[in-house]
Amino acid sequence: MKVIGCYNLKGGVGKTATAVNLASLAANEGKQTLIWDLDPQGAATYYFRIQPKVKGGGQGLLKKKKKRSLDPLIKGTDFESLDLLPADFSYRNLDLVLEENKKPTKQLSRLLKPLSQEYDCIFLDCPPSISLVSENIFRIADALLVPMIPTTLSARTLDQLQEFLASHAFNPNLQCMPFFSMVDRRKRLHTDLMAELPKQYPDFLRTSIPYSAEVERMGIYRMPVVLKNPDNPASKAYGNLWQEVKARLYGHLRREDQG
Amino acid sequence: MNAPVRDYLVPERTGVEEVKRMLQAHRQIAADPARSVIRRFYDTFDWRIFHAGGCLWEQVDSNTRQLFWEPFQSKQPQLKQRLTGEVSFADQLDLGPVRARIAPISSIRRLLPIVQISSRVQTLRVLNEDEKTVVRMEIEENRFEENPRNRHVLGARIRVRPIRGYPDAYRGVLRILENELELIPARTPLLLEALSAAGRTPGDYSSKLNFRLDPDRRADETTKEILLHLLNVIEANIPGVRENLDPEFLHDLRVAVRRTRSALSQIKGVFAPEIVQEYKDRFAWVGQITGPVRDLDVYLLDFPSYQRSLPEFLQPHLEPLRAFLLSHYDEAQKALAEQLASQEMQDLLNNWRAFLEAPAPEHPTAPNALRPTKWVADARIWRMYKRVLREGRAIDETSPPEDLHELRKSCKKLRYLLEFFASLYPKKEMRKLIKILKTLLDNLGRFQDLAVQADSLRRTAHTMSEEGRADPDSLLAMGVLVGGLLSRQAAARQEFAGTFATFDSPSHQRLFRSLFRTKKKGGHG
Repeated sequence: MKVIGCYNLKGGVGKTATAVNLASLAANEGKQTLIWDLDPQGAATYYFRIQPKVKGGGQGLLKKKKKRSLDPLIKGTDFESLDLLPADFSYRNLDLVLEENKKPTKQLSRLLKPLSQEYDCIFLDCPPSISLVSENIFRIADALLVPMIPTTLSARTLDQLQEFLASHAFNPNLQCMPFFSMVDRRKRLHTDLMAELPKQYPDFLRTSIPYSAEVERMGIYRMPVVLKNPDNPASKAYGNLWQEVKARLYGHLRREDQG
Repeated sequence: MNAPVRDYLVPERTGVEEVKRMLQAHRQIAADPARSVIRRFYDTFDWRIFHAGGCLWEQVDSNTRQLFWEPFQSKQPQLKQRLTGEVSFADQLDLGPVRARIAPISSIRRLLPIVQISSRVQTLRVLNEDEKTVVRMEIEENRFEENPRNRHVLGARIRVRPIRGYPDAYRGVLRILENELELIPARTPLLLEALSAAGRTPGDYSSKLNFRLDPDRRADETTKEILLHLLNVIEANIPGVRENLDPEFLHDLRVAVRRTRSALSQIKGVFAPEIVQEYKDRFAWVGQITGPVRDLDVYLLDFPSYQRSLPEFLQPHLEPLRAFLLSHYDEAQKALAEQLASQEMQDLLNNWRAFLEAPAPEHPTAPNALRPTKWVADARIWRMYKRVLREGRAIDETSPPEDLHELRKSCKKLRYLLEFFASLYPKKEMRKLIKILKTLLDNLGRFQDLAVQADSLRRTAHTMSEEGRADPDSLLAMGVLVGGLLSRQAAARQEFAGTFATFDSPSHQRLFRSLFRTKKKGGHG
């Protein structure tokens, strides 16, 4: 099982779109796939027309005495092999609840463990912050996908994240994979930064996702763009991105094992 | 976890379109375009998947290949996983829930394709107020092809698939199908429907002896029935042995040959002596030609445990032994396949079948031919039991290994007799006797086989060394292995006295006596 976190300290950079589309591509290949919508906004949940309710909320999952399992909370999406663990508005307090636990940074790991037999891929759609929730994610993820809009500020964000990861040594297997998202090639700043940043950060993925009105419209037709409109340039870009992520994740395996 | 998938039959007079129309009257339904799906079902030669109560299939659709496990009846859900390679042995499949479920079932047996079903499948999705799919229904029009000329159309079905997290919607749809549309749940799984249309019976092969013998039938006819079953087992396994599909084909074949020889020599006085002698010899030849490959199979199957028995630093140095075994394997297998295809083998099988299928002679000369089966069974088992006791009780700490080997042979003969005639006696008691005899046989088998293996490994080490295929570390590893085998063998010798004493307990003696000793004069050769 591979756990892939979609994360950025900044909001509105295309995290949810990344999680939702890559998860759909994984499921389409026959991989049993789960999206865990950890963002209290619940955008991923909304895209799949699922009600954003987790019985008992974040507290229910993490309470000391009554430690529940995730299993009964999982909802099937409209698509084969793709399930979703809905967001809950109470996730906004998840940090507070985590803190009450003895090992606050290991709680999500405990919850995910029983699912490892069932799923080939788990995508975590993370809230935009550095917090106990994100620390949990850094601990359990095999890959951290970091979508970035090419601006000077986002370079700063990446520095902060890398410093944080380096100073905490969460997980030696964690691969950080930044990539450009919502790219507008007409903007000089975008093209300049896209030439510059990957030189500083060798982990940068080569695929970038173009800005697309079709991606924005996912909120209207409520399904991933790669499934709704596979020929759209953004869909094709997500396809390339997924190939690249797989090559990094399963690189040591034979080609056919990459699925 | 998911609720199980449910199948309903679509009556021919209703038709698929009518069912769709009626469903739409009750629920908001989205219909996806129809697609083609191919399902290839697998089982082991001896139907282990079927006997475990489910079916296993590979599903190929436009862009995915997946592996499914589905129980026939129980409330367990369907399992599925991705599939990248070919389906052959379970432990070579991708890791996943299906592999985890079936690997302990199929074990060392190869998964063989048994039937392929092609379907036109249309998915109907039941939507909720958010237009979210909450139940998935698949209308399947199925047919299967044995070959292009032989196509069978199977009845249309609706599979109702729950979606995780929406149990109420699922129950609601089942109610509509059953109460409003009056559809009937499919009692027979699709696989079994296809197999039956193909004229195949699942579970039709078993190497087990499962006779229902008539105690009063003349003994020569009963013996032919037993031998005919064994011949069927031999013939059924030959193709799998020739193609070397898995080691169990050869194992089952050899067991059936051994049982055949044992039945010939142990059910005495039912056939003419020249027949008995001729076929004992001809089947001994089959035992010989199948020996070399079986020996290699046993070593290769045991190899992982050999390796684990060594200290860790020596474990990699045993690899040259595996390479050596494998390098001889193809040659031995080729020779075996040729022998099995030879005229000699064909003649043996044909002649033997002709003899077994011919009516028994009206005036047989063999002394026991006309006696009732039960009479002969009582006498033979009782006599062999007394021999086992005599030989076993004579063994003490100073007895040479040959005495234990002789006892083992007698025990095997007794075991085969008990198994041939088990249906003539009370089930529970027979099971108990066969079990204690097996325990004794295991002990004797360990004693002999470990010695044979140790000796053979020693000779292999010599050959490998002469051929320059073993460095000192490898020879050392094999030496440690031989030492381990011999110490286990010594332990088996130590345990013998206790194991035999259990077999020879007063309660077991009473049981043997009550079942097989008769007032009649039992001696007859």
